[in-house]
Amino acid sequence: METTRRKTPRPEGFGAIEYAAFAVACAAALLLCVCVGSVNISIREICRVWGEALRGTLSAHDMTASILLSVRLPRVLCVALSGAALSLCGAAMQGLLKNPLADGSTLGVSAGASLGAVLAIAFGVSIPGLPLAGAMGMAMLFSFLSLMVILPLAYRMDHSLSTNTIILIGVIYSMFVSSIISLVTTFAGDRVKHITFWTMGSLSGSGYKEAAILLLSLLFFGAVILRFARELNAFAIGEENARHIGVDVRRVKLVILLCVSALIGVCVSIGGAIGFVGLVTPHMVRMLVGPNHKRLLPASLFGGAIFLMLADLLARVLLNPIELPIGVVTSFIGAILFICIFYRSRRAEG
Amino acid sequence: MRYRKTALLLAALLLFALSGCAKTPSMEARTVVDMKGRTVALLQEPITRVVALSPADCEILYALGAQGALVGRGEYCDYPAEARSIPAVQSNYETNIEQVLALRPQVVLVGDMQEDDEQIRALEAAGVAVVMTNAYHEIEEVYRGVALIGEVMDKNAEAAAVIADMNAAFEALSVRALARSEDKTIYFEISPLAYGLWTGGTGTFMDEIAGMLGVNNVFSDVEGWRQISEEQVLSRNPDYIVTITMYTGEGPTPIEEIMARPGWENVTAVKNGAILNLQHDELSRPAPRLAEGAKLLYDFIYGNDAS
Repeated sequence: METTRRKTPRPEGFGAIEYAAFAVACAAALLLCVCVGSVNISIREICRVWGEALRGTLSAHDMTASILLSVRLPRVLCVALSGAALSLCGAAMQGLLKNPLADGSTLGVSAGASLGAVLAIAFGVSIPGLPLAGAMGMAMLFSFLSLMVILPLAYRMDHSLSTNTIILIGVIYSMFVSSIISLVTTFAGDRVKHITFWTMGSLSGSGYKEAAILLLSLLFFGAVILRFARELNAFAIGEENARHIGVDVRRVKLVILLCVSALIGVCVSIGGAIGFVGLVTPHMVRMLVGPNHKRLLPASLFGGAIFLMLADLLARVLLNPIELPIGVVTSFIGAILFICIFYRSRRAEG
Repeated sequence: MRYRKTALLLAALLLFALSGCAKTPSMEARTVVDMKGRTVALLQEPITRVVALSPADCEILYALGAQGALVGRGEYCDYPAEARSIPAVQSNYETNIEQVLALRPQVVLVGDMQEDDEQIRALEAAGVAVVMTNAYHEIEEVYRGVALIGEVMDKNAEAAAVIADMNAAFEALSVRALARSEDKTIYFEISPLAYGLWTGGTGTFMDEIAGMLGVNNVFSDVEGWRQISEEQVLSRNPDYIVTITMYTGEGPTPIEEIMARPGWENVTAVKNGAILNLQHDELSRPAPRLAEGAKLLYDFIYGNDAS
């Protein structure tokens, strides 16, 4: 365990104070996103709605309450949970592959998940009684299958899994998958329109049901990933070292990749492929809490939630009453932030 | 009214053009100025082979009775039903020049939102006359498109008649609506919630038709076709909703889907079940059928009071 620790004097774990600080920041972002929106609602009105909702005296004909509780709140919750899940996945994959550019979108996993969902829509794969389950199951399956194609291929080409190899294979795989998506849409006839809109990704219209699904999968798969923080630290030194200190490398890898693909599958099937969250937030968070995964992983959860909530807020209010697709905002901010971080870290190294 | 004026003006112009044509010596090449302001040289003899890439232009050709010359259509041209039996080519950014040329057209009608300059140059280099229409955001633009295609196909009189018919239909509806207008509001939904809500604002034929029928478009402060926020729809609380979402035959219908949206139960249109679903592009395709769409919308708002 000693070998994994860098020279930082920081405590190893994520302390109660840090948890509290991140939780407060996250709660503040949530509060801001619920209070500010396309429709202007005064703080007093918001307090009234909350008060009445908690006391159970809310009128069923209250439009302000509808906007706040049926539209804005569930959307903000879905955005926060998606951001947390995607960012955790990014942090885990960057650690596992020892590669700063690893992420669902750069590796082609999100593209694979989109393909799964598109196939489910095009061929009517559904589970009776569970309308969302078909697309979600297929998205999870295909994101895992994508990893199972990409990683062995990358290992074969370049055993050290250098940044270049990963990016190259990820880009090529994404192009390959998008060609298959185009092919499927050509044959899908009337459903074509649905699919093309769908692949653009949107969290508008997400409700409490989607939020609950995200929360449950985050509680389950996210908890598993968090429990592997020690092993991820060992991977950061190198797979050989990990093996030496008694990490079951194959099993750990498989479990983490399974959890990552499950989470990405759920996120993509609910919100479409939202880029850059998983790539950028772990880097930002690393600057705050350091590279130790025991601190990085929980901090990434909160960081991702905050980042995506603020991005979505901009998407909602920037051109009010016009709404921007969330991917536009995350990619714009994310790309700039990423270049800044990368530039700084490279200069620091050199 | 503005529509009548335009129509009269266009009809006069067409007659003028018609009389001009008759006097032109046959040696001179025939030219038209298309909607992008380009002067396009056409064959002297009647056009017998034309390819229309946009669904609206395809419908206009049928409305003019010029479908006999239609040898190819863009893949999304699906109205009238018999158009589906005409050979289809890929359109939009994937416009397949080889497919178009294989149909040996004399003229290709191209919408300006659809193709890029390179494709147009490629077609022209192959000796095809490319006439550019535009995306017809407003009704006046539809009229201009009808007049232009009428000129190209030597169907000027038919074009004038189509324009006059459309205009008369709009005029009649707006007169009837004037007597019954109750200052109600309407929301046009172009894309459903799951893919982000899109609507038509000022400068779209949807907004114009709402105005004709004496109802206020709740998004008239927005320009053109835009993605808008769900919260705004709730807060603007429309009395009527028109959705053009296609029903795939599975799950809830577009109307049921809107009725079941959480938070929408307090919207007047949802409370009253005042939602119209148009499945055949009657109000979403800028073609002569807009008059039919306007009639459907009138009947939906005021009931069928025609005598």
